[in-house]
Order: sequence, then structure tokens, then C-alpha cells
Amino acid sequence: MQITQIMQMTKSAKIGLLFALLAFTFLPVLAGGQWIKIFISTGCFILAASGVAFMYARLGMVSLGQVALMGIGGWVMLRMNHAFDLPFEINLAVAGAVTLVFGWLLAMPALKMRGLYLALITLMAAGGLEVIFSTYRFPNGGEGFWGVMPSVAAPFRRPLVATDDADYLRYIIFAIVVGFLIIELHMRAAPGRAWAMIRRSEAAAYASGVNVVYYKAWAFGLAGFLAGTSGGLLAGGLGLLDPATFRASESIMLFALMVVGGSRGWLGVVIAGVLYRVVPALFNDWTIDADIALVIFGAALLHAIITAPNGLSGQLIDLFGKVGKRT
Amino acid sequence: MISLDNLTVRFGGVTALDAISAHFTQSISGIIGPNGAGKTTTMNAISGFLDYDGAIAWNDEKIDALNPFKRTRWGLRRSFQKEQIADDLTVLDNLLAITDNLPLSRDEKRAEVEQAIESLAITRLVNRKADSLNAYEKRLTDLGRCIIGKPKIVMLDEPCGGLQQEETDHLGELILKIPTLTQATTLIIDHDVDLISRVCAETLVLDFGKRIAFGETAKVLADPKVKAAYLGVEEVEA
Ligand SMILES: Nc1ncnc2c1ncn2[C@@H]1O[C@H](COP(=O)(O)OP(=O)(O)OP(=O)(O)O)[C@@H](O)[C@H]1O
Ligand SMILES: [Mg+2]
Repeated sequence: MQITQIMQMTKSAKIGLLFALLAFTFLPVLAGGQWIKIFISTGCFILAASGVAFMYARLGMVSLGQVALMGIGGWVMLRMNHAFDLPFEINLAVAGAVTLVFGWLLAMPALKMRGLYLALITLMAAGGLEVIFSTYRFPNGGEGFWGVMPSVAAPFRRPLVATDDADYLRYIIFAIVVGFLIIELHMRAAPGRAWAMIRRSEAAAYASGVNVVYYKAWAFGLAGFLAGTSGGLLAGGLGLLDPATFRASESIMLFALMVVGGSRGWLGVVIAGVLYRVVPALFNDWTIDADIALVIFGAALLHAIITAPNGLSGQLIDLFGKVGKRT
Repeated sequence: MISLDNLTVRFGGVTALDAISAHFTQSISGIIGPNGAGKTTTMNAISGFLDYDGAIAWNDEKIDALNPFKRTRWGLRRSFQKEQIADDLTVLDNLLAITDNLPLSRDEKRAEVEQAIESLAITRLVNRKADSLNAYEKRLTDLGRCIIGKPKIVMLDEPCGGLQQEETDHLGELILKIPTLTQATTLIIDHDVDLISRVCAETLVLDFGKRIAFGETAKVLADPKVKAAYLGVEEVEA
């Protein structure tokens, strides 16, 4: 019997890896100037969106604090970078771990709650973090614990293998693949099954012997870890961070775009990241008012909620499925 | 043996179960009663899903102190009136979802899963996603989840609800096999009196949260009070 299917590759995974490989090879070559920076930050938000997406698709939990948690990861990353002389990867691991713990803290009040209440708690936390970030700002090499100096910022050390923007974009694409694999491995093992039972109902979970609190906290921790590493990677991409990036409204936006893209697979999360970062940049390029993007996103969200439960990615996959059958 | 002693459950001001006592000594027993009688509430109390007064034990092992998921780990299995298998998992994963949480070695878990699949002859379903199963196949999967991992108590809440007669007959056969496959004491709720008389040696009858009869199934079904409860004309003869 096939209990050892854990390493089996699905068609979607193969296409995803191929897509990642193409992006890894060509994107840094083709994108020039400011676009490479935009793709770097798009990649960071894709990684962060994967955290909310799996919470939503697999546990049915709405978390509206993911971008705020990215801010924590980014803060820790900058703090580590300017305080110590450790390698990038160690700083990134610390950023991920600290944010994981924050994910757990966020989970504590949330564990007893469901649906709307859970969403509200995460949103309140995001609001609190917004205030903290705008009050204390992000470390840029200054003195003391908060490490902020008024004018210029001290340099940021990127990974040794990826000091220039092109290589750093490759580094991010690699990180996204690793992040997706971590989620996929969870899905195929005990946590994924426990989450599926929790999503079915708490009664179903209990009847399966699932410790609901433990596995919900695990999910929050994993989503926090993904947010933290993506925030750390964003810090590495830009060298400094702006509190405005991590406003509570940004967390809501990322969640909404994840719903638009579709929460059930890698494609939806990639679409969410592209809508979040690339579309506004394109509008900017074409000198279209950025608010128009908001209107379009709103319409897309309505479209997704009303007609496309699996998001744009679900519709694309259906479309390709139909075309594939016809030819 | 499952013993319920003075089991009482209140929802606000409503007493859903009123000091129910019953000692199920047979390997398969039934719980019947009209809609809203408190059958599901009894199973929910045994599962630890709600607060109750009184005591619940299996072969003199008290389980009252265990929370719901620990009761499952201890050996309680149940299915629900509306099946509660995870749609986005395969049948195999729905079975593994239980063994994942049991204190067994890898090999033991695998053996338990294989045995459940074999006993119910559901090998062809193993890799199907649960959302592609029909009602009967879902019930089979539910039953598989109930016999896995050396259960001590198995509870089936309307296992044949919504099934065709043939399917009910076949599921009844499988339920009758539970005592040979496991050491468990089994409780079944169903409205299908034929099924209950075929499968259950003993039966508890509830009405409005009260025990109105308990004992050998045939005798219980012949009891005028039980007939009255089902026809909704109690108090007439009282
Ligand atoms: N969580 C709850 N909160 C409040 N009242 C409840 C709750 N669960 C059940 N009840 C009430 O308790 C009574 C017994 O319900 P229960 O579900 O046990 O009935 P049942 O015998 O299983 O009926 P059916 O045959 O319809 O499934 C009903 O009056 C029901 O409305
Ligand atoms: Mg019921």
C-alpha cells in the first residue's frame, strides 16, 4: 500500500517547479533597473502570501496580520544586521524564528475563536504593530535597541552568494520554492491531515484524536515563520524598511488578493503577489492613477467571491483543462 | 461494557438528558427514540464534547476526566449523524488522520490502517478524494475510521442515514463484524428499527431526555411505552 507517497510529485508541482526554474533563469536577465527591485519585493510578498493562503485553504482561518508579521521579521533582520556581524542566513533564521514566536502569541487569544472573531483579533494585532512600527521605525544602524539614526542608513549585508540584485532575485525565487515545499510537506504528513480535520469541524478533529489547540498554534507558527523570513528577505532586498509598507491595511490587501488569486495552490499565491506589487508598478509606469488599481482589485474580489471560489488560478486551471481536452 | 450512571446534560434551562443510567453489557447495543430525544446528546457526552453530570466508564475504566481528543487516543471512536470526513483528503488520509494521533509505532499504525481497509474491502477507495465518494462510500470510510487502532468504544450515530435498503443491509453486516475485528463495545443510534433489531442485542430507548426502556432489544421494542413514544401518544396509557 502506498503510505510512502510523501515524495510523489503532482502535475501541479512539476509545472510549478518548471515555472520557478524559468523564472530563476530568465527573470533576472530580462528585468532591468527598477523592475528587478519590484520583482524582489513581489517575491517576498508571494512567500508571505503562501502563509495566509494555507491557513485559509487548509484550516479555514482568516488571518489579517500577515504583512504586519513581515514587519516583525524585517525589524529583526535589520536589527541583527546592524548589531552583529553574522551571516545573512543566520539573521534570516533568527527573523523567521522570532516571528514564528509572534505567530504563536497571536494564536493564543485566537485559538478559542473562529471565523470573524479570529480575523478581528489578527487585524487588531496588525493595527497595534502598525502603531509600533510608525513610532519606533526600523533599525538603520543607529545607536541603542531601536537603532534608528535620522539621516542616512548603514549598509546592509546581503548573502555572499547574492550580493547584486539579479542574484538576490534568484535567491528569493529559491526561498519561495523552499517555502512552498515546507508547506507541501506539512500537507502530506500528520499536520496536514490534522488541519483538514479541523477545517471539517472541531468535532471531526476531536474524533480523530487531534489536539486542536496544538495544531492551530502550529499553523500560526508556520505562517509566522513564512512572514518573518519574507520580511527578512524584503529587508535584504531594499536595505531599509519603511513603516508604511506594513500598515494593517496592507495585510488586508494581501489577504484579499490571495482570495482573488486563489488559495489552494502555488499559482494563486503567485498571482496574489503579482497583483499586489507588479500591477501597481505597471500602473505607475503607464502613469495611471494607483487608486484605479484599488478599484480593479475590488471588482476582482467581488468576481472571486461570487463566481470563482478557487480564485483566478482555479479559473485558469479549468480553462487550460478545457483547452487541453479539446486539442 | 459501557456504563452510564446518572448521566445528565443541561442546555441552559433545558434538561436534554435527565439522569440516564444504562449498563450496556452486549458487544453491540442500540439507542433509539424520537427526534430530539437526546440520542446524539448521549453520544456527545460520552465523547466529552459537552459538560455533563454523572459518570461514564468502560469495563470499570472511568473516562470522565479525559478531554475529547484524549478520549479518542484512549480508544473512543465515533461517527456522526452527518458524516464528518475531510473532503479534501483521500480515504487513506482520512484513516491516517486517526492513527497519526495514536500512541503506536509506525509499523503498528500501518498494520492498523491495512487491517481496516481489508476488513471493509475498500482497497479500491483508498486513493479517492473524499469529496468524490457517494454517501455509502463515505459511510464506509467513517466505519473504517471507527474500527482503526484497537478501539474500546465505537459509537455510530445513524450510520445508515440516507442509504438505500441494500446498502443498509451491507453496512449492517459490516457493523456485525465489529466485535470480531475489535474488542470494542459498540453503540448504534438509528431510526431504522429493522436494523436495530438485527444488529443490537440490547437497546436503550430515550424520549424527551428520559430513559423509558432498556434491555433486550425484542422486549424493549414490544414495550407499550416505547410504542407510545414512537406514535407520540404517550400519557394515554399511563
Ligand atoms: N448544543 C445544543 N444546545 C442547545 N440545545 C441542544 C444542543 N444540542 C442538542 N440540543 C437539544 O437537545 C435535545 C436533544 O437533541 P439530540 O440531538 O440529542 O436529539 P436526537 O435524539 O439525536 O434527535 P435526532 O433523532 O433528531 O437526531 C433537542 O431538543 C435539541 O434541540
Ligand atoms: Mg441525533
